[in-house]
Amino acid sequence: MRVSIILALYRFKVKAFLGALRASKASIALLLIYSLGLLPSIFGFSLIISSAVREGGASIELYIEVLASVTSLFMFFAVLSALRGYVAFEHEQSFVFTAPITPREFLIAGIFADFTSSLIFTHPIFLLYGITVHSLSLPAPSALLMLISILTFTFMLFLLKISLSILKALYRGGLVNALISVAAILLMLPAASLLVNLPFRYSLLPYPSSFLAKILVGMVYGINDLPLNLAGLVLYFLASVLLFHIFSGKNFFPAATYMPLISPFDTSMRVQTLKLQRSISMFSKMGRFLTLSLESRSLLGFLMRKEIIRMIREGSLFTIILFYVIISFVVAATSSGQAQGPPPALFLVFFVGIYSLIIPLMLVSNWRLSDLENLWVPLTSGVDMRIIARAILYDFILLSSAVPTAIILVLSAIYSISPLMPLTIIVSTSMIGCSVNLYIMVKFLGRGRRGTPSLLVGWVSMLLSALLLSPVYILIITATYLGLEWALIGFSAVILAYSTLMARFFSRKIEKEISRVEI
Amino acid sequence: MTPIVELVNVWKSYDGVQALKGLNLEVWRGEIFGLLGPNGAGKTTTLKIIVGLLRMDRGLVRVNGVDISEEPYEYKRIIGYVPESVSLPDYLTVEEFLIYSGKIRGLSEGKIRERMNYFIKLFDLEGKRRSLIISLSRGMRQKVAVASALLHDPDLLILDEPFIGIDPAGQHILKELFNERVKGGKTVFISTHMLDTAERLCDRVAIIHKGQNVASGDLKNLQQISRAGENATLEEVFLKLTEEAREQLFEEEPIKRRGGFLSLFGRRGP
Repeated sequence: MRVSIILALYRFKVKAFLGALRASKASIALLLIYSLGLLPSIFGFSLIISSAVREGGASIELYIEVLASVTSLFMFFAVLSALRGYVAFEHEQSFVFTAPITPREFLIAGIFADFTSSLIFTHPIFLLYGITVHSLSLPAPSALLMLISILTFTFMLFLLKISLSILKALYRGGLVNALISVAAILLMLPAASLLVNLPFRYSLLPYPSSFLAKILVGMVYGINDLPLNLAGLVLYFLASVLLFHIFSGKNFFPAATYMPLISPFDTSMRVQTLKLQRSISMFSKMGRFLTLSLESRSLLGFLMRKEIIRMIREGSLFTIILFYVIISFVVAATSSGQAQGPPPALFLVFFVGIYSLIIPLMLVSNWRLSDLENLWVPLTSGVDMRIIARAILYDFILLSSAVPTAIILVLSAIYSISPLMPLTIIVSTSMIGCSVNLYIMVKFLGRGRRGTPSLLVGWVSMLLSALLLSPVYILIITATYLGLEWALIGFSAVILAYSTLMARFFSRKIEKEISRVEI
Repeated sequence: MTPIVELVNVWKSYDGVQALKGLNLEVWRGEIFGLLGPNGAGKTTTLKIIVGLLRMDRGLVRVNGVDISEEPYEYKRIIGYVPESVSLPDYLTVEEFLIYSGKIRGLSEGKIRERMNYFIKLFDLEGKRRSLIISLSRGMRQKVAVASALLHDPDLLILDEPFIGIDPAGQHILKELFNERVKGGKTVFISTHMLDTAERLCDRVAIIHKGQNVASGDLKNLQQISRAGENATLEEVFLKLTEEAREQLFEEEPIKRRGGFLSLFGRRGP
């Protein structure tokens, strides 16, 4: 094993990942906004953790279960991703796999490169760790041990994922698929204990995520079963190292599958097309019940139908439904099992409302991925581009309100809560969120800004949407805390009028910008 | 008679790179016009400016006598365009995409149906009519894009590298189609690297280099301009003219690089 080769590969991989960042000067600024924007949440979250620890009262076992569920979720995705086999980039196939480099050298460089690249987005977690450790006044050895445990778990995930990917690449049979799938399901099964009383819980099972959760919670609460849990985690780590040693010794290069470089900073058309192709192949069969026909009379109606078809066939609709199903699941989880009674109305409002902000961003990002490069068709046709912009925006608002509306109605019926407040928030969030997100996305298609990673553009859109939505929340909070139930209808009307005005304002701006897009 | 496309002193830069440097060009009705040039000469930029996908920094572009800066939408009704890297809505079927193309161009239901069926048959896409575009090969996608560009029977068909990815039979159909259109008084404006095809197909060509028109005309004109001899092929003429242009540019570059006062008098400066 040659360290110089590993270092060269490492540098190359990190540069390839970050390469697209250099495409736009705005990227660095937006990355800074991302970090700074997360600061309040990090401080807030850290405050919640420290005050919960100081005040006590909550069940330590519950903390372990929740923490183990979250870390198991990471493991679940790592294990499940192995089903694709070992995926290498095209340029690696052409230039690295044809060079005298061993699979192990290549893989070790990859692990460290993946870790470095992931720090770009996960660095706030380390900040959260630092602030929490400081506010809890944990002794330095404990804090260090916590950090080492987190890193051990992280590297174990990388090693496990790679080993299973190679296993799948080399032995493509159904047995390997079944093995990986069963392992993934078993990892998440105990999470059900958060909802219903089950005999198997993370705290009772020797899962790596259980050991990690017990170490972290144990350190904070001073529980003295550290050696056992530490030994458990280290044992898993060593097992993953052994697995890695076995599989990295095999020549998997010919069995690897290839894809173009996909980095969150890579906004090239080729990468976008690949991302899109995957979801279209998955969802297009389901979405064939709705078709574009010649019969539509109005052009706006025809174009809206086309956008709906796109959102069904590329999987946007499915993702929205899945998103809200998960939210409903969480809401249900907090109101049964460990907690008591129905969720408070305000909780439902804020939970659903805040998470609804993500939907417009997702819809707009998907549009950028799948249809931006196709804008040449209307742009060269002479059609009034304002109609195109309107069709897209109206569909975004329609879809991002319709699904949560259905969910809210069901949840309100179950918990006997008035749906007025949540529905007002949902519609308002959809109108403001979609118009702001679409406007900023289109604005960033301009000359000099085009290369800005969509992830960072999305972050700015979320901030602006949240800012513009703050009057809505102020009104809702005022009405609730002052007990102005009777005024809620009036307040809802004001909120909807405000949201309509905002949507119209940004809609005009989108209409102006979209006809100026250069492809 | 006015040219159907006219570019006068067109300038365009991207991120500090000067793609077009005062380009002048004329395309006449009823001809197949070829835009030739080495990589990075500005061919795609030129076509994109004409169809309204890029805005020029300065200059004048007239299509059918209309200044496209003054009237940036209406003139597109007479244009059909096929880009070099064809991006199509992969989530639509071939039929749905052609309906979409027809609808946004304001064609009637009957016209869309009639023209769509004609091109689906012509390009041998019958079996793929209800297939999603994502499942098509590159050549088939190109055919779908050409069909979409021809759906409204445009007076001016603009194609960027139309033959790339298309099989020989498909290329033959395209060439026949171009010739038929020209016979009917329509104009075909293509950009291509395939010089032998251009020589046989185009009535006139323009050779551009580094964003400037080096020479334009029919093969005879170009043979005279290049002094390559009356038996010279288009390839030989092209190589001679682009080499001369490169040398000329090389001679001017050192003066420009000195910067300061002298560069103000650079012949090709803005």
